[in-house]
Amino acid sequence: MRKSTILAFAALALPGALFAASARADTVLDVATAGDQNMVDYINQYLGPKFEQAHPGVHVRAIGTGPGDPGSLAIEQKLMAEKKSGAHDWDIDVAVIHQRGAAQMVTEDLLAKYRGEVSTGKLVTSQKAVNALGTNVEGYVMPMFDSQVAIAYNPEIVKNPPRSFAELAEWVKQHPKQFGYNGIKGGMAGIGFVMGWVNANAGLGDRLNAGPYEEADKGKIDAALASLKEFNKNATLTPGNAGTLDMLGRGEISMGAVWADMFYGWQADGRLSPDLKLVLPSPGLPGQPMYYAIPAQAAHQALAREFIELATSPEVQAEGIVKRFNWYPGIDAQYVQAKLDTKTWDHLFVDITPQDLKQNAKPFPISPYFTTILNEYERVVTQ
Amino acid sequence: MSASSPSSALAGAGRVRRDRFPGRPDFWGLLLLAPALLLLFGLFGVPAVYSVIGALAGKQGAPSLEHVRMAIGVYGKDILFTAWLVCLSVAVTAALAVLIAGYLTLGSNRLAVRILGWLYRWPLFVPMICAAQMMRSFLAKNGLLNNGLVATGLLTPAGSISLLDWRGVLITFVWKQLPFVTLLLAGAMASLDRSMIEAARDLGAGRLRVLVGIVLPLVRGPLLVGCVLTFVTLMSVLSVPMMLTADTPTMITVDMAYRINTFADYGTADALGLISYVMTMLVGWIYLRDAARQRGLSR
Repeated sequence: MRKSTILAFAALALPGALFAASARADTVLDVATAGDQNMVDYINQYLGPKFEQAHPGVHVRAIGTGPGDPGSLAIEQKLMAEKKSGAHDWDIDVAVIHQRGAAQMVTEDLLAKYRGEVSTGKLVTSQKAVNALGTNVEGYVMPMFDSQVAIAYNPEIVKNPPRSFAELAEWVKQHPKQFGYNGIKGGMAGIGFVMGWVNANAGLGDRLNAGPYEEADKGKIDAALASLKEFNKNATLTPGNAGTLDMLGRGEISMGAVWADMFYGWQADGRLSPDLKLVLPSPGLPGQPMYYAIPAQAAHQALAREFIELATSPEVQAEGIVKRFNWYPGIDAQYVQAKLDTKTWDHLFVDITPQDLKQNAKPFPISPYFTTILNEYERVVTQ
Repeated sequence: MSASSPSSALAGAGRVRRDRFPGRPDFWGLLLLAPALLLLFGLFGVPAVYSVIGALAGKQGAPSLEHVRMAIGVYGKDILFTAWLVCLSVAVTAALAVLIAGYLTLGSNRLAVRILGWLYRWPLFVPMICAAQMMRSFLAKNGLLNNGLVATGLLTPAGSISLLDWRGVLITFVWKQLPFVTLLLAGAMASLDRSMIEAARDLGAGRLRVLVGIVLPLVRGPLLVGCVLTFVTLMSVLSVPMMLTADTPTMITVDMAYRINTFADYGTADALGLISYVMTMLVGWIYLRDAARQRGLSR
């Protein structure tokens, strides 16, 4: 057969094969996930293929909507637009969102109450499945994982890592530009650090996390932020969550505010020295879960519930969440620990012990304080 | 004068041209233009109008300056910083473009001219976001630039500094826009009548003198167009300041993205957008005024 004939056949056959492949996957489950690239990787590389294997004819399509709260806000805006348009079937089947986004979407009736209909729902014991930044979200969400902002440091240079914010401030004075965080416009690790600073210095105690919000607290927040402005003179502002890890990796800073899961992930990939360590200073830094949620009018509700059931099963939480992606489990730890070897389990708690987490892992402030702190940061610290 | 003389032929050509483009709009011509005009109207005109309305309407929808006040009050420094950084980038780009285009036109070493002519266009094909990503590791304290300088002994490790601040943004902007302005200028310079240049050289003028005294005034128009387009392009760049620096002040594009992404605060973002429009309109007005004056002079 002549070469041109073979090429012509190939040209005709290729679209046919592609069409046949797409026709086989007759159902597409759209999973929109906020967060960094590792969230999309988790769905594409691990959870999606696993679900497709158990559900022939279903294709899981992961859509990343961007890091931090803005990523969740993008999902909220999409769902709100569909609600306003009166569409019967909404495009997103499963949404993976932050606490602030979940609180807003529950208030706006954008989410389905599904936890009671999922067999793994009873494995969730965390208060974070009930309360998101002061809003009752019980039944609407299941935690995918929990993560924590912490201070990463190079133990070769930092022999005695600071155990409190006061010690950190003192260390930064003695080691100018050696501590880095990414401000408030480059991701949630930086925002977490600012929230931790205000928590440590404004003297608002539990009111910050449990409410009620008091307008008069603005003065105390401003005073705490004024001291952060002084602190910033000797700190390095890094370009984004990944920017802090990049600078740590290149040895440009010796300490920085990072997400614990990103830190461990980068170490596992060889992008960060295995010698670097984490510390969680008192009175604490915030952490937050990512939630699985189902939009109220998702086109494939039953399939979405099955997807979340798989994602929150002890096996997947052990293998995918803890072992592969270094996150803290979303369901009760006892069910997950039983599925893992001691070495893997302990690796997660070497630098930050369960005791540290108990004492110093804080939630993000409730929404009105959160917004006030961000707005005042711009007014007091940056302008 | 006979009917076939050159001047009457020219007059005839003028008549033909006028006949082909009568005062009445041509239906087919308008039809050809319609898709472009519709796109311009739909993708730029309508959002621009909504953006202005959003900036000048209060929370209840009534006319109000609250968003503009918020934008200036909170982001005043960023507005000034943006104007300063973009103007500086345009100035540095223009100066370097004049030097490169000048050498391409007046250079005597043919090999150097050919190599430079081949090299300078490269950044034109690199998207802005890729340029930002490259600069992120190139300009870092322990990045490729400093490591290279340390390896060659030009810098000590202790003396290396990070350029990931406004300087990094400036370097990226200039690197990215330089080929565009140079391309415009080199084209304009190549089309000049070389007899003037050669006459000046014959009378003993150096290359720099010829460039500044003769060539540059003749390509003033294209240079101004390049500067205006560079200003407008740089005013809209988000990726570079976002990826290279978390320092403050920052560019207002970052603030706009932040207000929308974090607070869904379209009002303040619209107000910042309006300020951005005013700045680009001002530059456009300077260009138009100059172009009109040039036309007046040529008449």
